[in-house]
Amino acid sequence: MSEEPQYKKVKIKKGPKGWGGPLVVHPKPGKDLIYSVTGGGIHPLAQHIADLTGGKVFDGFKSKAAFEQIAVCVIDCGGTARVGVYPMKKVLTVDIYPTSPSGPLMRFITADLFVSGVRKEDVELIE
Amino acid sequence: MTPVVKYQAQITQIGPLVDEFVSAGVLVLFGEDAPEELKEFSIIHDGKHLDQDVKPGDWFCIEDEKFHILAVGEVANSNLGNLGHLILKFNGLDTPEMPGDVCVEARPLPTIQTGMRFSILGE
Repeated sequence: MSEEPQYKKVKIKKGPKGWGGPLVVHPKPGKDLIYSVTGGGIHPLAQHIADLTGGKVFDGFKSKAAFEQIAVCVIDCGGTARVGVYPMKKVLTVDIYPTSPSGPLMRFITADLFVSGVRKEDVELIE
Repeated sequence: MTPVVKYQAQITQIGPLVDEFVSAGVLVLFGEDAPEELKEFSIIHDGKHLDQDVKPGDWFCIEDEKFHILAVGEVANSNLGNLGHLILKFNGLDTPEMPGDVCVEARPLPTIQTGMRFSILGE
């Protein structure tokens, strides 16, 4: 009898004009938050990733979470601040806008941590 | 014409890592609901409402200084209205480099302190 939640794994690739990735997101117990740091509440892309993986959506503007609990962070960043902050913290980061590394924190933005221009159809269940 | 106040706020907190952006000619502002990891890099303020969209030709005013707004990226107004989030680049460009940018005159950045008020004025 197992009480472990059934998490699934997704591959997230860049969208048109996007950059970076693909990222593999696999929530685990204690690290299953799909962290939305977006205007207007939980972004539909964050909800979609949660629906596919079994992770939990979480609104970064409403509550606090430790980075260790975050499976992936979804942002709607126009290219300067949020694009760098989460990769700097080694959090997998998905930008819905097709940004490329830029801004003062661009040295932290690497293809193994960051993918951009992502649409729902760029998220694929792999397991 | 009487200027229209499109946005106004008071600065309530300055993150310890704001200089990372200041030295690149950028001010990053966020409203008070921003998560801690963004507050580290940001100037936090109590602004709530964007009354009208910001446009080129408006002014960013802080204390006694005024900076002419030259370009407004396509997501800058939704950032400001939803999150109190503003990326101000003091680069003199009339085309934004990134969709979140608000570009103003290339002049030395104002010195920011807690308690200062800022506004965006249009006509």
